[in-house]
Amino acid sequence: MKKLIASGAKTVDSPQKSPGRNWTIMEKLFLGLTLQQYIGQAIRNPLNWIFGIIFAIGIPIILGRFLFGLSWVTHSSNDYPWGLFLAFGLFGMVPLSSSGFQLGTACEVFGRHDLEPIERLGLLNGLLGYFFAVVYLMIDLGQPWRLPYPMAVAFGPASVLFLVAWHVSTYLSVQIAEVSVSFFEWIGFPIGIRAIRKITLGLTVSGIILSTLHQGALGALFTYAPGKVHPLWYSSSFQWIHFFVSSIPGGLCMVIAVSTIASNTMSWRFDKRFRDSLDRITISLAKGASMGLATYLTIKLLSIAHDNKWGYFMTGYGQWYLVEIMIGVIVPMFLLAYAIHHNKVTLIRFGAFLVVFGIFLNRLNTAYITFNWKLSYREIPHWREVAISITVYSIYIVVYRFIVYRLPIFYQWRTQEELAPAYATETETEIEAKALKNAEAAAS
Amino acid sequence: MKRRDFLKGCLIGGAAASLGVPSKSWAVGSFEGYPDAMGVLVDTTRCIGCRSCEAACNKEQKLPEPDVPFDDTSVFKEHRRTTEKAYTVVNRYEAKDGQKPPYRKMQCNHCNEPGCLTSCFVNAYTKTGEGAVIYDAKVCVGCRTCMVACPFNIPAYSYSSAFAPVVKKCIFCYHTRLKFGKPPACVEICPREALTFGLRFDLIKMGHERIRETPDRYVDHIYGEKELGGTSWLYLSRIPPEQIGLDETVGNEPIISNVKEFLGMVPMVLTIWPALFSGIHLLATRNKDHGDAHHNHSEQEDGKK
Amino acid sequence: MQKRGFWLAGLMVILFLASVPGTSRGITVPDNVTLHSQSKLYEPFNFPHAKHILLVKECSYCHHHTTGTLEQDPNCIRCHRNSSETKVVSCRGCHQSDPFSAVAIKEKNKKIYHLDKPSLKAAMHRNCIDCHEKMKKGPIACQACHVYTKAGAAFYNTGEFAPKNKPAKGGHGGH
Repeated sequence: MKKLIASGAKTVDSPQKSPGRNWTIMEKLFLGLTLQQYIGQAIRNPLNWIFGIIFAIGIPIILGRFLFGLSWVTHSSNDYPWGLFLAFGLFGMVPLSSSGFQLGTACEVFGRHDLEPIERLGLLNGLLGYFFAVVYLMIDLGQPWRLPYPMAVAFGPASVLFLVAWHVSTYLSVQIAEVSVSFFEWIGFPIGIRAIRKITLGLTVSGIILSTLHQGALGALFTYAPGKVHPLWYSSSFQWIHFFVSSIPGGLCMVIAVSTIASNTMSWRFDKRFRDSLDRITISLAKGASMGLATYLTIKLLSIAHDNKWGYFMTGYGQWYLVEIMIGVIVPMFLLAYAIHHNKVTLIRFGAFLVVFGIFLNRLNTAYITFNWKLSYREIPHWREVAISITVYSIYIVVYRFIVYRLPIFYQWRTQEELAPAYATETETEIEAKALKNAEAAAS
Repeated sequence: MKRRDFLKGCLIGGAAASLGVPSKSWAVGSFEGYPDAMGVLVDTTRCIGCRSCEAACNKEQKLPEPDVPFDDTSVFKEHRRTTEKAYTVVNRYEAKDGQKPPYRKMQCNHCNEPGCLTSCFVNAYTKTGEGAVIYDAKVCVGCRTCMVACPFNIPAYSYSSAFAPVVKKCIFCYHTRLKFGKPPACVEICPREALTFGLRFDLIKMGHERIRETPDRYVDHIYGEKELGGTSWLYLSRIPPEQIGLDETVGNEPIISNVKEFLGMVPMVLTIWPALFSGIHLLATRNKDHGDAHHNHSEQEDGKK
Repeated sequence: MQKRGFWLAGLMVILFLASVPGTSRGITVPDNVTLHSQSKLYEPFNFPHAKHILLVKECSYCHHHTTGTLEQDPNCIRCHRNSSETKVVSCRGCHQSDPFSAVAIKEKNKKIYHLDKPSLKAAMHRNCIDCHEKMKKGPIACQACHVYTKAGAAFYNTGEFAPKNKPAKGGHGGH
């Protein structure tokens, strides 16, 4: 894509293709390229080859899960009813998708409009994370077509999962509404934009209410099985607080991680505002994340003290716990603190990836690896379960990429009035100058 | 406020307060079980591992053919658990005192306040007045939280079914027997009456009486009398319950006690958060032109480059 | 004088005869008992009563205090010090065959002492087999007494009804 732009292709960042002629939806879908150019750039991308292999193997297996049942893709364990689909796909992805409510609240409620360039990425990250968590859930449920049952057919309000079901469905609607602004800008539906803008504050506040509760509720689910989760990962009084507090650095660092990947693979999509402010914003997000990490570490130690579990550190599980805390919390906490102080953005980005890894590890540990710690055996997931998890995550990445290639997430949609670009991508003169330079370099 | 209004208010308030006199039931914090609930006393000192109970359950509940005949005792080589094909299994344990190895029948314990029932978000489980914890397959979504919540690891899932997998567990023969006051199939067939059927309250007294009359035969504990808020299936044992596979660390609180803290917090958050964050919003954005911030920045910074 | 002596002798004969235990007076003691209450699952089988009388000798060893020498167990003597023989000596006289029916549970007299009385089936199994184990003689295993009927073999999925397709261990059969 970079090459195409260097050779003169115009990115779609406003309704107008050329004076008097607007982009059509098809053209917008194809990034303003011809079909040949589009397919060409897709084939040239080596990441797409990897995705191709993953989908070739994974998608038939996903179909097989629905045709042959869960017994074909899991070990049909009655002791380990929850496997990778939930431990990784749901419990892992949801805390990392808390960026939606965090950035929404920061900008709209706390008034931090300096974070606006990344607000949309935070909202989109949140929406896609929750959406694909539900996809993983649909794959995991025994009878996924009955998913609406707790909403409409039979109610079990004493159950924490009831709360999760209601909240996630409500929150998905909230997030769709928040992200829809970008979508309406892109397709040109100003009425929708105005309607959503009016209720943005209400959406944001409901977002933070719902998020606090269901991030916590996912943790509270494990209080149904107090003896089954290893004591170091379990806290009878504070499980939900652990899950909620860890989602704070999780979401912020996920946004940093995604913006890092984007700046390395698709910086052509950034507009000047985004490119100029990204480093500063990354540091701001890191500040929030490091406060979250410090708080999280403290409450973890507090809950171990609360139940006097220090003795467990001497066991094998104790050492594994220290590994998780080191990699996921302590090391990134110090890295971020140092990097914020010395303005080293690359170090912040590395720390953010460690936090994301640490969150996945924590949820996998709580829900799967240390689950049933009293039983004599650990379950190793079925290879098809692993394949499906990787495939769905790849679909998530592809959908993510599809959206940010097109919608005004990394750039601002320039309206009709300001086609004399104040925040254009490279101007045509700049592109010409670059092309000349390349030609000169090639000649010499 | 005028004096008259104040006095009126006091009168009305006083009347309202006196009407709402809390009855005794408000103070009850635990559920002791329905008064006419039945139960089964499992006397593991009487069990010889003949597995007739497994056979009877298999036929009564119309379960599929087992992998191994029911009179085959080689199954005791390893500890089994309940599965989608076996609502109850008998396991053999080691007797560390050199006496005969004890056997224990494992099945749903039909707790007074079950973890499965508490955790189900479509209310698929019901604790009936007769004491059985039964399951409604018609609303089950297959989330398998009940399997996570059961401290005894009893519910099994019919993973082998592609289109209608459901939870499988002992239902105390409710639909075919308990509803009509009859004992479950396993109790009826047991040749040595290791399983005694009766009112739960009576069984507890009976169990304590057995311990009192033959104290050398039993550990002085009825497992399930208080565990997890009480269960309908109670166990007597010659050796500590831990050694016959009964978890002694479960405590006397029902599973829901662990979750109540969080559940109680939910309406608090739903009420406090809106005011809290609206308040923060007002504090944070006072005097700042919040409305303009939504418009394109280009308008404010036009010409700046 | 002879007339009075005659009546006295007659009275003594009657008293003497009355003190003889009922079994010696000719009340039927079965030599063999056919046990067939589980007739659906098992064939009826024979219990050799005469053999047991020769081996055990003391009736009360099996028949508790319904007949034979009075039970000397201190736990029993407390109440049964003066108990005499009961009309029905066999197990069936006290042990119900269906103690858990709805009627039996509802009408259970909670004021009697022996609330925890085993059923007929349990009483026989525990009384008989526990003694066989102690004496190390006599049948203990289930099939030593109970031969399966066809229905019984089907019930236990054994013999000709044994499962034919034994699934391979491993595969997707999880724990």
